Amino acid sequence: MAEKAVKKAVKEKTPRRSRRAPSYEKRQNRLGYGFMLPWIIGFLVFTLIPFGATIVLSFCNVSTNVTGYDITFAGGSNYYTAFFRNTEFVPALGAFIAMVVPYTFVIIIVSFFMAYLLNKIEAGKGLMRTIYFLPVIIMSGPVMSQILDQADEAVQMAQGMNSGYEGVFILEMIRSYSPRLAGFMGNIFDQLTMILWFTGIPIVLFVSGLQRINGSLYEAAKIDMANEWQILWKITIPMIKPTALVATIFTIAQLGTYDTSAIYELIKTATANTNGGFGFAATYSWIYCIIVLIIIGLGCLIFKERQPRRRDIW
Amino acid sequence: MVRKAKNINKVKVKHDFKWWRNRIARIAIYFVLICVGFVYLEPIFEIIAKTFMSAEDIIDPSVNWLPRSLSLNNLKVASNVLKVGPTLRNTILWSAGMAAAQTIVSALTGFALSRYDFKFKRFWFVMIVLAFIVPTPVTMVPRLMMFVTVQEAAAIQLIGTALPQAMMALLGQGVYSTVLILVFYTAFNMIPRVLDEAAQIDGASAMKVFWFIVVKMSATTILVVFLFSFVWNWNETYITGTLMRNNIELLPAKLNMFNSEFDSLVSAQGGAFKLNEAYKMAATLISISPLLILYAFVQKQFIQGIENTGITGE
Repeated sequence: MAEKAVKKAVKEKTPRRSRRAPSYEKRQNRLGYGFMLPWIIGFLVFTLIPFGATIVLSFCNVSTNVTGYDITFAGGSNYYTAFFRNTEFVPALGAFIAMVVPYTFVIIIVSFFMAYLLNKIEAGKGLMRTIYFLPVIIMSGPVMSQILDQADEAVQMAQGMNSGYEGVFILEMIRSYSPRLAGFMGNIFDQLTMILWFTGIPIVLFVSGLQRINGSLYEAAKIDMANEWQILWKITIPMIKPTALVATIFTIAQLGTYDTSAIYELIKTATANTNGGFGFAATYSWIYCIIVLIIIGLGCLIFKERQPRRRDIW
Repeated sequence: MVRKAKNINKVKVKHDFKWWRNRIARIAIYFVLICVGFVYLEPIFEIIAKTFMSAEDIIDPSVNWLPRSLSLNNLKVASNVLKVGPTLRNTILWSAGMAAAQTIVSALTGFALSRYDFKFKRFWFVMIVLAFIVPTPVTMVPRLMMFVTVQEAAAIQLIGTALPQAMMALLGQGVYSTVLILVFYTAFNMIPRVLDEAAQIDGASAMKVFWFIVVKMSATTILVVFLFSFVWNWNETYITGTLMRNNIELLPAKLNMFNSEFDSLVSAQGGAFKLNEAYKMAATLISISPLLILYAFVQKQFIQGIENTGITGE
């Protein structure tokens, strides 16, 4: 009896030795997945599975009954309806593309320009940055639409004609070559206020990107007698390209989730229609997703790292 | 004495071409920055100005910015319609809760990505970016169906409670979670690994390294992430509208429905005044002022945090 107790005590006192300590890789794997676990579970349950389900649902008719959902396979009829029967979907899609492409272009250029200038100044730096980071804080659906309503009213007052910038000399000149281009440019100027409100996060990204460019590069260039213009094109812009890619993706995603676009309204009403609307909502959102992915893919192509060409600008 | 003499010398120096060019360039930069900065501020000024105008001042075309007399009537009416007390409390609690959940899970995920070399790490990286690119509506319908199914099966009330969104935030699928993860990832990468190793040699577990070294050294990053998340959750209306329906009263959603609410309230009272732009402005001011106040307090740390942590996440 006593012997047993002693043995037990000894056993507890001696440190338990595992047969073999886990190898470095195993430990890395275990700990890495341990910390990632919440995100991975969430991703599988709330993003990946729903994503797959949307694709399946887009080929189905969904209707609600007492216990849950009746899902029946419907082939491509949802797609047929979306493209050929529903009179709102195709124009909404077109309007979305016509908004996203020029907007992204202008937003990226304007925000790079503003970030570049913000990076140049010394006095009043804090104040300026406070103002320029402001859209990050209040950029949102309802507040934005409130602010933009105001802007729209101002535009409409000026818009006796096609665009508020109808009479501008340069636009008139362009119009004589191509009315469509002039109309397009007039539109961009009309909506510049709105576009500026989307530049919040891209400016933040560009400012922090510019800050991280190594200062000695500029010094080396200056020693070699480069002027500001050359430095901008040969150092700053090539170095900022990855940031520009991130900013582009963010802008497209932001414009895509800007919830006053017509497509959102369509998806929302389809989702609210419990009587067979879910299938349509899935179809709409799936087509929409493909379009967004294509646009982002195009953006990636533009900012892809290319082999530097052996060509001197100057 | 010597210094004084030098100063006198300096005044006598005739400025060369380069000096003048730099000076003019600087003035031009400030000019552009101030002009564009005004575009961001103008709507806010207008909202503030209109909020404090009486009805006569708004109709009067000669009153543009400064009201003849301060009237708090608009604020009173708007806060009545918005039921500002409970709504504001709800919104703050809601956003802070979601932001806290998102911050914790993104810190864990960022830590895993920055410190461990586990299998398929690149794959998970791509998935994290993909989770951001896929537009929200695509996953929304299956998510909704999932929650409804679970609700029926387990007899727990899910739709119309905070539970689904709390779960999504805690499992890393909240608003723009990807961005938060990438911010943490880059910030953690900047903390030297030598510190972890020293702690590990002294017998610290992974959790201890995470808490006592990485978390404690990145206070500004945590602040930036929390603030971003707070703002985004504050402004988010689409997911909340779909999952909560109208069971919680949050400021942005209320602002969206301001017109109809206002009409019903006013007609119930039998009041003679009709919908007025000023009331809407006051309501907008109420719904953005908490964010503006918050921004005013943490603005300095926020901007520093953005500049120090490479928010770009390359």
